[in-house]
Amino acid sequence: MTVGETVSKPAAGPEGPFTTRQLLRLDQALRIADASTGLTFSVYVGDLDEPVRGHAEKLHGQLADPAESVLIAVSPNQRILEIVTGAQARKRIQDRDAKLAALSMAAAFGGGDLAGGVIVGLDQLANHAGRS
Amino acid sequence: MSPIETVFFFVGIPALIVLLVGGLAYAFGGRRGSARRYRPGRPFEATPVWFLSAPERVTGADQRRAVAGAAQAPAISTGEVETGRAAVPQGTTGGASDRW
Repeated sequence: MTVGETVSKPAAGPEGPFTTRQLLRLDQALRIADASTGLTFSVYVGDLDEPVRGHAEKLHGQLADPAESVLIAVSPNQRILEIVTGAQARKRIQDRDAKLAALSMAAAFGGGDLAGGVIVGLDQLANHAGRS
Repeated sequence: MSPIETVFFFVGIPALIVLLVGGLAYAFGGRRGSARRYRPGRPFEATPVWFLSAPERVTGADQRRAVAGAAQAPAISTGEVETGRAAVPQGTTGGASDRW
């Protein structure tokens, strides 16, 4: 519905990092995570400026309701992963749960599986957040 | 079987089949998508993307939407983020970081 359609006709220039099939899976994972938890999950894949954490938090701040949002920011070139949870979301996804999800994601990314890692991470974070 | 027939059956036909299969694989197989496959440690050239299940939840999403269309997720470049609206004060955010 959302992400799956973005790259069906890729624009000129470098393409997005995912194939259409991966986008569909990602879209489904995002929708399930949002629907089951009531939080807003968001995934950013691209370079992050230094300081990386600050940039990720800035992106998170641009979401409509940062307090209830979770941002997963992945920079494949810098090999950095940031998970940012808002003030409310943090109560449901504690930092150690986020770290656990980050570990699984980093393991998948280290094997070259970007989409798989993101989906695993979303699943874990949504599980930790529990039902709304 | 004459020697010519023998050569035809045991060399000609197998060679034809090998060429046919090879040609088909070359024409259709290709390693499509391998260019954007991510390999850790190698440069990865891809447009930055930002996914949400509900794109309208990004403030100012309409201006940053790379492709027009209501149901499409905004794709933003890192440069554009800097010029965006002042971010909501963060100080209470949590989360985690990792490297690989």
